Amino acid sequence: MEVKPEEKAEIEEPEIEYVSYGGEHHLPLIMNLVDQELSEPYSIFTYRYFVYLWPQLSFLAFHKGKCVGTVVCKMGEHRNTFRGYIAMLVVIKPYRGRGIATELVTRSIRMMMESGCEEVTLEAEVTNKGALALYGRLGFIRAKRLFHYYLNGVDAFRLKLLFPPPRQVL
Amino acid sequence: MADKPVYEEASIDGQPPKLASIPASDTTVWADASPLLQAACAGLRDGELIHGDNFNLFAAMSALEIMDPKMDSGIVCTYYSIDEAIENGAAPIPISLDSTIDVRCTIDIMDHLLACEAAWHKGHSLAQTVFSCIYLLRLDRTAPHALLHSYCRIIRATCKAVVSVVSDARTHEEEDLFTMTYGLPLNGDGDDKCLSILNAVEETISRQLRACKATSSKRRLPEDLEPLQSNSNLEEGFCKALLCRLRFRKHFFHVLSCMKRPQGRGLESARKHIASCLTELESILESADFLRSCFDESCEGDIDDKTTASGFEPIGFDAMLNSRLSAPTPPRAIKILSWKKAVEYFVKLLHDLDVICSYSLDPHLESLLRFVVQFQKSQPDLVARSHLQLLLVQDGKLYGRDPFFAVINKAAALPEATKNHDIQKNESFLQLGMLVMNLLKILCTNAAWQRRKLGKFLQDWRVIYVQLELAFRNEYGEVSSSSNDENTCMKIFQHILLWVEEQTYWIAFRFLILGFELELYSTGEYCMVYWYLYAVLIKLTEKTHLMMAVSHDTAKRKGKKKKDSSKDLARESRIPPAVLFLQCYICLAEGLTMMLAALRNEIPVFHSPSPFNTEHEKFVQHFELLQRACIPDHVSYPSYKESTTHARFSTLAMYNYFKDAQRIAKEVKSSFSNDPERAFSTLFSRLGGRWGRNVPFGWIHFSSYLK
Repeated sequence: MEVKPEEKAEIEEPEIEYVSYGGEHHLPLIMNLVDQELSEPYSIFTYRYFVYLWPQLSFLAFHKGKCVGTVVCKMGEHRNTFRGYIAMLVVIKPYRGRGIATELVTRSIRMMMESGCEEVTLEAEVTNKGALALYGRLGFIRAKRLFHYYLNGVDAFRLKLLFPPPRQVL
Repeated sequence: MADKPVYEEASIDGQPPKLASIPASDTTVWADASPLLQAACAGLRDGELIHGDNFNLFAAMSALEIMDPKMDSGIVCTYYSIDEAIENGAAPIPISLDSTIDVRCTIDIMDHLLACEAAWHKGHSLAQTVFSCIYLLRLDRTAPHALLHSYCRIIRATCKAVVSVVSDARTHEEEDLFTMTYGLPLNGDGDDKCLSILNAVEETISRQLRACKATSSKRRLPEDLEPLQSNSNLEEGFCKALLCRLRFRKHFFHVLSCMKRPQGRGLESARKHIASCLTELESILESADFLRSCFDESCEGDIDDKTTASGFEPIGFDAMLNSRLSAPTPPRAIKILSWKKAVEYFVKLLHDLDVICSYSLDPHLESLLRFVVQFQKSQPDLVARSHLQLLLVQDGKLYGRDPFFAVINKAAALPEATKNHDIQKNESFLQLGMLVMNLLKILCTNAAWQRRKLGKFLQDWRVIYVQLELAFRNEYGEVSSSSNDENTCMKIFQHILLWVEEQTYWIAFRFLILGFELELYSTGEYCMVYWYLYAVLIKLTEKTHLMMAVSHDTAKRKGKKKKDSSKDLARESRIPPAVLFLQCYICLAEGLTMMLAALRNEIPVFHSPSPFNTEHEKFVQHFELLQRACIPDHVSYPSYKESTTHARFSTLAMYNYFKDAQRIAKEVKSSFSNDPERAFSTLFSRLGGRWGRNVPFGWIHFSSYLK
């Protein structure tokens, strides 16, 4: 039986395969997902910037060979702190509400932590309850409110996760 | 960019170009680059990028895709230029040869311009809103059409006035699109006469209205006057619809002019014009029924989304013509407010301006701060806030009238005589004056920006305190001097040092409270926030109380002895109402902290650790700016943990916090009978957001349910 896009997909949890960005062949999958769901017009160079320089920070989620979610990130020095940044996070509608986004983000953040990041940051619309809850559970706080950040006049929160200082080696 | 003159004459097209192409000149020649581009496409594989010294992947992100309308602002959508648009009849004059349609279309243009103006105020660029009007871009050609011409002139003059106010306030915050006017014809010769031109048109239409009424009552026509338009059944309706629109613009322009007058001299007049504006806006709304029904053809689509009262699309607008003149980022299509929403916006703006105009210019800083905080609660927009800021700070003085040292002198409860003391020339006191001035400016900005600035500001206030203290110690050490002037100086230092501390804690309090208004705290963080509030309030209350004691001394020393000395003594021993009010806050903050801590400690579901960090990191992040400025001293995450680890429902003291708060509030209520803002009912809502009113009583019920 065909699964219509509006219906929730029937899946077992272990059936979702998480894969680190593996090369050019993943790029069109990521681009299609993001173009579908987000309103910003990104050129291919934007995607290349992220996945070429920080391939280890981008992840894809597959279900039975189909790409259903992705996270795209970067990290670098920013005003004397080494900081990770979550640029794009998408899960297609039928697969939402199952923790796929949380798993994608968690993998990326873990990689950032292991790479020596002191904190992670991103922006989210103040109306995006789902994203705020997701990141809140992971330890992000709402560090700032950005007035009329988006073109439609919606404000944004700058979310920040501060890692605890590295434990002393005993 | 900041120094670039805001007003520039339009020089969009040097010469009218050929319709279909850009001509070559003496020094330029066209060359076909297609073969080159073709070869380049074949020369690189997918995923390859040319590495250049100044071209890396980061730079590549800013690449534009040519011919993509979302990115390529040079792309021609309808017309290449304004002249081409005009040549193709995009903005005809007259709009229609049928005078009835011409009038209706003119009204549509007026309505759409109002909607554009509101969209501009709300944060879009002038080029994509008001100046998407072709008539406005070439105002001179509207001269044969008196109605359109006068309306466009006053719109232009109004926009220029508003840009001026917002530019002068210089706190564009994140709204820097607002003052971008590059290449737009904002300066017009003779715009200073726009009011008299408008009055002439208004006068004509008034006579036309009188004439059509006289005709209908079969009285003799007073003069040989041409009617507004040819359909006598619609004459009255159209005249009225036009008159209220013209009068609204006239009064609105007057509001701006009056409010611009220095030292608030025009505020009372402004209020009268504001009232007239509101009346005319009501008439404008009422005209919608007539405008919708006067033609047989009905318009498609939802009437509420339309940018005109009639529901018809306005003639003469093209937002893409200015694409090279609008903000540097690629132009995105923006949504102009609906006409209804635009009217609502102006009603709100006028109400906000009215509040400003009603302000009594109180020389007491404390009252002023309360007024500004209260004003901000209605979330006024940029234009209103800019007007407030310009009223408060002009020529480096409060209200353009009171030097800031005099203001500080009064706020610090120093005698009137010291306000002219030479000590104000001291560097530290000059800087303190600047800090107060900047504080007022910051308090007029939008809440999100304001909180960030206040947080950073704390450091400046701490520094000035240390500087003043150092200067004080250097001058006077610990020895009390004998000379009169030295005594006065010492007193000035002592009062002002105390006042600076009080002010610093007030800023810290505002910083924390704004976090609730901006929804920056998630519910799991409320406990630590209320705890920190409690710590700040303790210090604020202490300083306020000291300040009041010192001010009482000053009053006594001035010889203001009351006749009834026993009453005087009683008043002395009573805690001042302002301090009681703060004590009430302390009880609430402490109570809420303990209650939330108890919930966390006793009910596991309220305590959910995150995988990547702990509460400690959140504490550090939320209070970083306060901690850095040591506000207050000796406050840290360990001390927070210590205070809250042992909180349990069984602790009876918890009941007392809220009972105490109630008791104090009742006592305070009578003292502020002439100041309803301080009434009991506002207390809970100010501190707790959605927790406010119900929680203290609710949790008592809740905890007994748990037993």
